[in-house]
Amino acid sequence: MAGVWILGENHEQTLELLNGGRKLADQLDTKLVALFRGVQELAPEYIDYGADEVLVLPPIAPEQPFSSYVPIIVEEARQEDPDIFLVAATTRGKEIAARIAARLNTGLGSECTGLILDPDSGKLHMKRMMFGGAAVQKVVCTTRPQMATIPLHTFEPTARLEGRTGQVRELAAPPASAVSIIERKPREKESSNITEARVLVCVGRGLQKEADLELARELAEALGGEIACTRPIAEELHWLPEESYIGLSGQHVKPDLYIGIGISGQIQHTVGIRDAKVICAVNRDEKAAIFQISDYGITGDLYEVIPRLTAELKKVLQK
Amino acid sequence: MPKIITCFKWVIDQADIKSEPGSNRLILDRVDYKISDYDRNAIEEAVRLQEVYGGSVAALTIGTPAARKSLKDALARGPEQAYFVHDASFNDLEPAQTASLLARALDSQIDYDLIICGEGSGDLYAQQVGPRLAENLNLPCITQARKLTIQENQVIAERKVEEGIEVVAAPMPCLVTVLPEINTPRIPGLKDTLAASKKPVTEISLQDLGQYYEPCLKTIDLQATTMERKCEKFDPADGLNKLAQALVKAAAIS
Repeated sequence: MAGVWILGENHEQTLELLNGGRKLADQLDTKLVALFRGVQELAPEYIDYGADEVLVLPPIAPEQPFSSYVPIIVEEARQEDPDIFLVAATTRGKEIAARIAARLNTGLGSECTGLILDPDSGKLHMKRMMFGGAAVQKVVCTTRPQMATIPLHTFEPTARLEGRTGQVRELAAPPASAVSIIERKPREKESSNITEARVLVCVGRGLQKEADLELARELAEALGGEIACTRPIAEELHWLPEESYIGLSGQHVKPDLYIGIGISGQIQHTVGIRDAKVICAVNRDEKAAIFQISDYGITGDLYEVIPRLTAELKKVLQK
Repeated sequence: MPKIITCFKWVIDQADIKSEPGSNRLILDRVDYKISDYDRNAIEEAVRLQEVYGGSVAALTIGTPAARKSLKDALARGPEQAYFVHDASFNDLEPAQTASLLARALDSQIDYDLIICGEGSGDLYAQQVGPRLAENLNLPCITQARKLTIQENQVIAERKVEEGIEVVAAPMPCLVTVLPEINTPRIPGLKDTLAASKKPVTEISLQDLGQYYEPCLKTIDLQATTMERKCEKFDPADGLNKLAQALVKAAAIS
């Protein structure tokens, strides 16, 4: 038995993994199997999207967590012995993948952004970040199945095809999990979308108080941009919504211009701005790491520099 | 009165990581080590829970004998004892090995009700050891917690997921991984550091474990990521106009 398996938590993730998985399945000349949680009537759709087989995870009680499926997925994997198993790298996906890998005694590449099937060995070469983004590690799984978690948007969603056929099968209900969900609090929707912005003004710990965000806001407004921040500003100080933080575990952005204010330049943050076209930094410490990865920099007190820079930009832009 | 174990890893301090100029080769021979930042939150949370609910806290780490240096720092942060699993071969453990070896140590030598790990490590950040360890020990598992309380024999956690927060409950014994936002780790004072050297450390050797685990994951390449940037500096006194012009031009802002 063999196959490439994929598991996403929702429709979007499933379509992306189907795309990545289809290529690998074709190269290995094996079947592509989608594990799917949802209404069984919708399962055949994924055949049209490239799956050869859909394994439906049966409904569970609302207080049961997604990880309840671990034992039945493990059991199925033992029977079917897949070659490769890709899981969407969400909070739940990463937990489930690690637990399945532990049960199956196999290796798992975490948050892999590149997958290449080595033609000689037939093994998957998985590329991922290490040292907070300071290094790129390539790993190979020496056991079966070769498992990886895949960050969102690593693959484009797959297109729908006509006239495909395949099997749909529902797995047996899982045993009750010891962990139960007491309450779900949906996140309030925030309006800012920093991944789309052309200009980002990003603030860090160098900012002394919340009211000083106004300085950054004025600069962002002059440039038609948005405000972003480092992880502690969002998670510890709560000055800005969590969608606004850039970095290893936050957003990865690619604006035309990034201006970092009071940001030291820790790798966990700067890994998220790698694809910015122009990076500018203002920091009062001339040795701050951010200057080494900036196109333009000013060593100075942000409270003195930023208002003047805003005024100069307005002049240049004739606003 | 829960017996709490907090796991931590002794990792390369990223601030010391350099790459060879003009190449992608990492220079790792002049680096310092520290307790992984994420694990400082795990230690703090264990100690904070003990302050509220009583019980005990022990720190647990695995590494080469060189990681012995980490014990004093860990103990200065509040745990009353430490377990040190070590062998000269434990220098590049991958997550499956780390979790298997820790599970073996816990199973054979250590009493626990609650295991707290950081959300990931500062070097690999694979985020696997916590959930793998739970699975190896057959424990209920909660990952990415930003708030923890204990009610009777249950751990209640607020867990961050993509759509918001899941509040979950798990009976002890169980394992939790915590996010950096859960607390602010205390900075040990001189008194804490002095007290740390008197706290007991239990050493566990590979021989004591009686089993070695082969790696499931092999690193075949490791390279520095480089960012080539202009690194032009402007004078804050009279360079702001020039900077404004450069920014507008380079980023094509209108």
